[in-house]
Amino acid sequence: MGLIRAVFDAAFRQGGPRLKPVGPRWPLLLFHVDTGGCGGCGMELEALATGPYDMEGAGFGFVQSPRSADVLLVTGTLTRTMAPVLEAAWQAMPKPKGVICVGGCAMDGGYFPENYSVLGGLDRKAKIDLQIPGCPPSPQQVLDGLCSLFGQRVPPARGAQAEGSSSTSS
Amino acid sequence: MDAVSLIRAGQETDTPWRFRLDELGWRDMVAALEKDTLPFVGLWCDGTDVHALFMLSPAQPLAATLALEDGRYPALSSVRPVSSLYERRAYDLYGAEGMWAVDVRPLVDHDVWSATAPLAATPGPAGGHKGQISFQPSDALLAAGGVNAGAGPATGGMETPLHVAMAVAGETITQAETVSGYAHRGLAARWRNSRLEDACRLSGRVAAGCSVAHQAAFCQAVEAACGSAVGPETSLIRVVLLELERILLHLHTLAGLARGAGALVVASRCAWFREQLLAESAPVIGSRLLMDHCVPGGTSLREATGLGDLCISLAKLGEEIYPGLATLWRTYPALSVRLSGVGKVDATLLDRVGLDGPVARASGKDCDGRRTQRVYQTLWRLTAGRHGGTAEDRALVLLDEIGESLRMLGEAGPRLGLTAGGRVDLTLEDGEGLGMTEGPWGNVLYWVRLHAGRVAQVFVHDPAPAALMVFEETLAGQDVADLALVRQSLGVNAAALDG
Ligand code: SF4
Repeated sequence: MGLIRAVFDAAFRQGGPRLKPVGPRWPLLLFHVDTGGCGGCGMELEALATGPYDMEGAGFGFVQSPRSADVLLVTGTLTRTMAPVLEAAWQAMPKPKGVICVGGCAMDGGYFPENYSVLGGLDRKAKIDLQIPGCPPSPQQVLDGLCSLFGQRVPPARGAQAEGSSSTSS
Repeated sequence: MDAVSLIRAGQETDTPWRFRLDELGWRDMVAALEKDTLPFVGLWCDGTDVHALFMLSPAQPLAATLALEDGRYPALSSVRPVSSLYERRAYDLYGAEGMWAVDVRPLVDHDVWSATAPLAATPGPAGGHKGQISFQPSDALLAAGGVNAGAGPATGGMETPLHVAMAVAGETITQAETVSGYAHRGLAARWRNSRLEDACRLSGRVAAGCSVAHQAAFCQAVEAACGSAVGPETSLIRVVLLELERILLHLHTLAGLARGAGALVVASRCAWFREQLLAESAPVIGSRLLMDHCVPGGTSLREATGLGDLCISLAKLGEEIYPGLATLWRTYPALSVRLSGVGKVDATLLDRVGLDGPVARASGKDCDGRRTQRVYQTLWRLTAGRHGGTAEDRALVLLDEIGESLRMLGEAGPRLGLTAGGRVDLTLEDGEGLGMTEGPWGNVLYWVRLHAGRVAQVFVHDPAPAALMVFEETLAGQDVADLALVRQSLGVNAAALDG
C-alpha cells in the first residue's frame, strides 16, 4: 500500500491548471482506462461514443493513445495490478492534464472497496477534476457531466466554439 | 468403473448430488475422466476442500469433494484442459496445489497483492513486485520465438482490461496467450460471509451485459438452497429480463464487430436500435444494464405491472426495425467477406474446453440451456445454427438470436398481462443450491452455500474461462490487426474471469 501511494503522490503531484484552456484545445480528448470494474461503465461510454449522442459535437472525443489525450478518464475500481498501468498512462500524457472518474467504482471503489487485490477508487489518492457518479451512469449523465466542465448544459451544435473556462468540480 | 459411478461411490453429503471422495477415489475419477465425456463445469477450493462440478445432463449436477492434504490435490487439467484456469486460481487464492497440473504459472496473483494466498487460513506475505507486472511466457510461446508484440490492458478502448502477449511474424500472429488478473477484484473473498442482498449485487457486477444471467442464476441457487422456488410469473419476468439482456448485449457486440470491420453505417444502426429499445425499456424496468432486478425470492422493477405492455411494444419496435437491420447486415458491401476470414474456431477445440453459447452454436454445436429449462418450454424453439465457426458465423448467430428473443418478448407480453410477479419469503437455512441460466455468451451457473443466515461461499461458472482458452488458440494464424475483432466475436471478458 505504501508503495502504491508513493507512486500516486509522484504521479499526481501537478501544479497549474488541471485542464487545458478550452478555446484552443477544443475538443477535449479523453483517454479511457478501465482499472478493474465490471465493464458496465465502459459499455455506457461506448454507447455514448457510438450511439445517437452528439458527444463529438459537444466537444469531446476518445483517443487511442495517452500521448494525445488531455484527460484521463477512469472507470472501474483500481486494482493493484492496474495501478502501474494507470500511472504509466498518466505519465505519458502531455501537460496540462486532468482526471475524470466515471462511476462509483472509480470514485471510491463502489461495490469493490479496498482488499488484497484492490486499492479502491481514486478518491483521496489523486486530485480528481470531475466525478460522475452512478453504477453505471447513463451515457446522458456522462455527457452532462462532461459538459459541466465547460460550464454548459446543452451540447452545442457541431462546430460551435465552446465558451467558458475549464472548471474543476468534484 | 466410469467417472460417474466412481463419484457416486464416494461418501454422501448433505447435498444429494455432491459426494466426498478420498484421495484414491479422486485419482481414480481423474483417470476415468480421460476416457469419459462427462461435461466439466469447474473446480474450486474453500480452504479445506476442493470441489469439482460436472453435469450429468443439462439439469443434473454431480460434484466430487476432496479434503486437501498438505494443501494439495490431484489436478484435473490433464483430462479437462479448462480446469487449468481454475487450478491456477485456486493456487493464487488459497495456495492449494494441483498435483500434475498442466500449468502452474500464476493466473491472477502477479506478486503485487497485499497478501499471497489471501483466502487461505493463514495468508502469506505481501507481494514484492514493483511497477508493471511481468509474466512468464508459456513454452509454446517461447518455442514460437518469444513475445515480440503485445496489446492491452489499456488501449483507450472500452473493453475490460486484459493483456495479450504475442509472437508475431510480419503481420501474422504465430502464437498468443493472455495475461489476466488486471480485473481481479476478489469476488470470491467479497462473497464470503456476505449478506444476501450484497452477494446478489456483487453477482450483478461480475460481468456487465450479463448481469441478469448472473443474478437470476444466483437467485435460483439461493432459492434452491432454501428449498423454495419462485412462482411461474416471477420466472417468466426473469425470462423476459434474460431475453432483453441478450438482445441488448448482442446488439452491442454486433455494433462493435461492424465498427471493427469498417461498416460504420451498420454499427450505427445497431447502436441506434439498441438505444431505441432502451428508451422504451429503461423507464419501466428502472435501469439500462438491467442490474439488480433479479433479487432472491423475486424480481424488482420500477414499474412491474408495465412489463407485459413493454414486451409487446418492444416486439413491435422489433418488427419495425429488426428485419431492415438483418437485411442491412447481410447485404452490406464487404462486411460478410471481411468477417468470414476472421477467427475460425475449430469445433474440436470447443469440445476440449467445453465452451457453449453462441460461439459453439456458430460452429455446428447444438447446445442451448433454454432447451431444457421448463419456463422456456413453450417459448423457445430450435433455430438453425451455423457450421463455419468464423466471426461471420458468430455474428449471424447473434443476429438470429436477436430476432428470436424479440419474438419471445412478443409472446411473453400477453402472458404477463399486469402481473407484478410476487415475492417468496425465503427462510435462510444452512445448505447448498445450484442455479443456471443461458446467458448471452452461454451457460452461467452458480453454486451457493448458505450458513448462519449468510452467504458462506459462491462458485460461479461463466463462459469466460473457456472463451479465453478458445481466444488464445484461435489467435494463431490471425492478422494482428484482427485481434479486437476476434476478441469481440468470442465474447472474451476479463471482468467475468473473476468469479
Ligand atoms: S461503477 Fe458499477 S457499472 Fe461501473 S464499473 Fe463499477 S460496478 Fe461496474
